[in-house]
Amino acid sequence: MPIYLDNNATTALDPRVLEAMQPYLIGPYGNPSSVHRYGRAARDAIEAARVQVASLAGAQASELSWTSGATESNNFALKGFAAAHKPGRLLYAATEHPAVMEAAESLRSSGWLVEVIAVCEDGRIDWPRFEAQLASGPVQLAAVMVANNETGVIQDIARVAAGVHAAGGVLLADAVQAAGKLELAPYWTHADLMSLSAHKIYGPKGVGALLVKSHVELAPLLHGGGQERGLRGGTENVAGIVGFGVAAELARAELAQRDTQMRALREQLEAGLRTIEGVRIFGEGAPRLPNTVQFAIPGWEGEALLMALDRQGIAVSSGSACASGTGEPSHVLLGMGYSRPIAFGAIRASFGRGNSAAEVERLLGALHGFGAERPAA
Amino acid sequence: MQTETDATQANPFGYPPPVWQRFNAPARAGRFAMDTPGVVTGSAGSPAAHSRLQLQLRVADGRVADARFLAYGCPTSIAVGAWLAEWALGKTPAELRGLSLSELRATLEIADDRAHCAVMGEDAVRALLAQYEDAQP
Repeated sequence: MPIYLDNNATTALDPRVLEAMQPYLIGPYGNPSSVHRYGRAARDAIEAARVQVASLAGAQASELSWTSGATESNNFALKGFAAAHKPGRLLYAATEHPAVMEAAESLRSSGWLVEVIAVCEDGRIDWPRFEAQLASGPVQLAAVMVANNETGVIQDIARVAAGVHAAGGVLLADAVQAAGKLELAPYWTHADLMSLSAHKIYGPKGVGALLVKSHVELAPLLHGGGQERGLRGGTENVAGIVGFGVAAELARAELAQRDTQMRALREQLEAGLRTIEGVRIFGEGAPRLPNTVQFAIPGWEGEALLMALDRQGIAVSSGSACASGTGEPSHVLLGMGYSRPIAFGAIRASFGRGNSAAEVERLLGALHGFGAERPAA
Repeated sequence: MQTETDATQANPFGYPPPVWQRFNAPARAGRFAMDTPGVVTGSAGSPAAHSRLQLQLRVADGRVADARFLAYGCPTSIAVGAWLAEWALGKTPAELRGLSLSELRATLEIADDRAHCAVMGEDAVRALLAQYEDAQP
């Protein structure tokens, strides 16, 4: 049986979510903007889901805007903020997701001063450098993710927010990977903007949300139709939103149970990994998500290891994305100060609710086999 | 380490058998030593598909005497590299020019959604032939 250990990339749709979505895919449901009976039914479903997803972060329903996913949420937060304010200083952490990094970098052309926030070798913010950066002048906007997609490293968002607020700015906290794995309310208390995605919490792909505190002014990216209080034009993805709502409700209800299950698998994997000579677990010294382990085995490139595991029916992710054709190692690990050869070695196992101890044993069995040899060529 | 017997029995993700066979036990994977005489190299890549293929042929007396490949990408691209390295053996450069994309796809049972891997193989052969011609006196 194949084993799926790439739940940070995406998760399997929960059958209970699918069941909730089905009526909105096949039933006579109208356009949520229509005022007739069908339209009102769709509107009601969207508003019920808004409460469910906002509650996952302890937010008010009025603070939530639907998007097409986390990439749009992050783009909306950064570019929407930039469009509504005079250009100033924008900071983002070196380990942010490309949807934040590239959206932030794109704002240079509109006059924004974009700076990277350094992180330490364990993946956490380099506080002395960050505090000096904050002290050097006012900041309009900063982006620091709650938990990293590759390493699972969790940032001290309360402390980041305090610093950013003191420098006069607002904070975007990308909570895509943290959702469903951590209690989000303590993070939303401090952040001003927060990105969420349905398909990382057993919901459908193509739907996300941006939480926006009422004091933050954003300009819409998508004009037309006046949906989402004018913040995002376009007919809503009703079935997807309904699915997101149920997925969020389940994530909230099952948080403790999922945490226990995933944490046990992570500990089992890490205990087994430590018996392989020279193995490196990234972000080991920092608080991390209960489901994520990014590691490297000496002598192995991540991509080769990924392929060797694929042969045995085990799906993991390599930290490097071959975006340039020649292969670029993970910007997250480079940002943490690792050399390119070490970063090239990284692979990630990320657990989900369907994984078992027997599957971790199979992964460890395969890795122990590889640990004893070096790949050809 | 998997054995040949495992190779025929496993294939947990259900790759087409000709792809699985080469992915599981790729022959001629690697590169020639830097100073090997008569080696021509062709590379192709498809950044969008996260894959890259390098084909090296050692030509002696006007025919391919040996071949190596390096593939960075999915199992299909690895199989394409292995197949090309095997197919090229004994051929003249003129014969290499006759590479048929449809033959490559049919032999490896490459479905439409992985067709770009076969195209990458063809591109690598073309790049290699261009290099070969440039090197002729």
